[in-house]
Amino acid sequence: MTISRRDLLIAGTALAAGVSVSAPFLRPRYRVDRRPVRSRVALLRLEDYSRPIDELLFLGLCQFPIRVQGKRVLLKPNLVDYMPGNAINTHPRLVVAAAEAFRRLGARYVVVGEGAGHQRDTQLVLSESGYEQDLKRHGIPFVDLNRDELVRVGLGASYTDLEYLWLPRTVLGSDFLVSMPKVKAHHWSGVTLSMKNMFGVVPGNKYGWPKNILHWRGILGSILDICATVPIQFVIADAVIGMEGNGPLNGRPRPLWTVVLADDPVAADATCARLMGFEPERIPHIHEAARFLGNSSLGLIDQAGEVLRPPEVPFQVVPEFEHIRAT
Amino acid sequence: MSEQRIRAEICRVLMERQLSTGGWPALAQSEQTALEPTIYSMLALGSGQEHGYQRALRCLLACQNPNGSWPSFIGDDREGAWTTALALIALADNVEAAWSRRKGFQWLLRSSGKESSWLWKWKFRTTDRHVRFDSNKFGWPWQPDTNSWVVPTSFAILALHHLPAAWAGELAAFRVQRGTEMLLDRVCPGGGWNAGNGVVYGAALAAHPDDTAVTLLALKNRPDEPAVRESLAWLDSYVARLSAPWSVAWSALALAAHSRCVRRLVSSLVQQLRPNEIRDTATLAVLALALDVERSLPLVAVNP
Repeated sequence: MTISRRDLLIAGTALAAGVSVSAPFLRPRYRVDRRPVRSRVALLRLEDYSRPIDELLFLGLCQFPIRVQGKRVLLKPNLVDYMPGNAINTHPRLVVAAAEAFRRLGARYVVVGEGAGHQRDTQLVLSESGYEQDLKRHGIPFVDLNRDELVRVGLGASYTDLEYLWLPRTVLGSDFLVSMPKVKAHHWSGVTLSMKNMFGVVPGNKYGWPKNILHWRGILGSILDICATVPIQFVIADAVIGMEGNGPLNGRPRPLWTVVLADDPVAADATCARLMGFEPERIPHIHEAARFLGNSSLGLIDQAGEVLRPPEVPFQVVPEFEHIRAT
Repeated sequence: MSEQRIRAEICRVLMERQLSTGGWPALAQSEQTALEPTIYSMLALGSGQEHGYQRALRCLLACQNPNGSWPSFIGDDREGAWTTALALIALADNVEAAWSRRKGFQWLLRSSGKESSWLWKWKFRTTDRHVRFDSNKFGWPWQPDTNSWVVPTSFAILALHHLPAAWAGELAAFRVQRGTEMLLDRVCPGGGWNAGNGVVYGAALAAHPDDTAVTLLALKNRPDEPAVRESLAWLDSYVARLSAPWSVAWSALALAAHSRCVRRLVSSLVQQLRPNEIRDTATLAVLALALDVERSLPLVAVNP
């Protein structure tokens, strides 16, 4: 048998990818294993944000045994910044539809909360992105998580050496947290999905804009520590128009025409990654989260709705994350 | 409603929101004293509101950390935060607070972005080059052990402009010089500033009006720098279509500091304002400052 230079190159790349996935997390640093026996995901087809979303989303949610009667529901969209033409933020119509659906399901109080990571002027992001008028029209309150009251909370895992974070009272006081990410490639973490979206609960008032302490302590470890501390009860991911390339701000819009629902953030992120044409096992924080926060394996996910079809051409990523693309 | 009447209305709302600590919360109905809104409220009310101002002053002096810094909010960790610069601006020329100010300035001069150490400079020059910036040009972080960013650096420079001559030394001059260089280095292509990343992975990021305005206040004495001229032009045209009160108010202050006419901008602010509906206390206080630029500018941006 002869080994060509090409074979060596592929083997070397695979080895490097394997090391990059496992090296940061050589030993588990979580305290509680929260994985459900099985997870449930539903893919809903939505070809345009102007199509009726309310009924589609309500019927989609009815496929899950959700119990929100009398509860305080926090919707956490990805609302980072506003740049005309860029698919940066979770679409406001999807957030409004989610609020209406949870009200119909009996939620006592539904609030939208976000702590934008780049923009200090929350009001500006809300008005420029269309959130302000949509939320006002539907009487949905918004809380600026960058400026909410803060409570010191010990972390539920120790993938960073942070030990504790100051977190917003609105987040800690909610009974049912729904992460609503925009499905995007990300130049530091490969992808930004429901788990990375939780960076938005870390308050700028304390940690600055951007929340640079999380970068210094390790983005991937920070994602795991935050998600181990603030559990995500449900995911509604906006993959109608996602972003590929140099995300989270400057990538290109890439339509997938899909809304992803899930009762497990790891299952949600693994499914979104597959929809983007990525191998979730090669994305370090998803790989590690599958050891204690949820299920990423297809065999442990019950899927409803549309069939999961990875694209023929995976989403573009920055060169450092080429290895996460399915080949 | 006239500018004076709406300013008086804002001050009334601010007085209503003052907490028993003497400080102010970030958001209405909160009970937690946050430093940023407290300091802007102090500047907005001024010593004219004698009782409220004195209570705020006592609050500010009482919450200073043992190391000379100030926290982000009462109850915060004691390591210090970017709000130290704001506290020093609010305490400028306050003779009774001389000891607090001296300790604060000493902390501020010791605080710097993590990229200022040789190891991280080397890393950013060799292996970590996706964000375009010159790590030799450093300023101040939001909190210890993190990078320099545009807003905390701008406020630190503004605070150091209040440093009494007797306390000023070579270090202060060096830090202001380096911080100024850092701000000029971080300008976005086309003018203006955001948090501090002008170009990432070869792509230009958009400027933000509020960050641009705060930076222009810090660079008030550098009007001939091309980056300042370009950023003033960007802000002047961008802010005209904005309605977000926080950004418009900061822009009015910055443009006025650079001798631009802000009458129309201030008028547009007045037309849309309903002070009671603004939950963000810092926004309310900065609005009050913008509605009285002649009085406010010497408080915020003095000539060094």
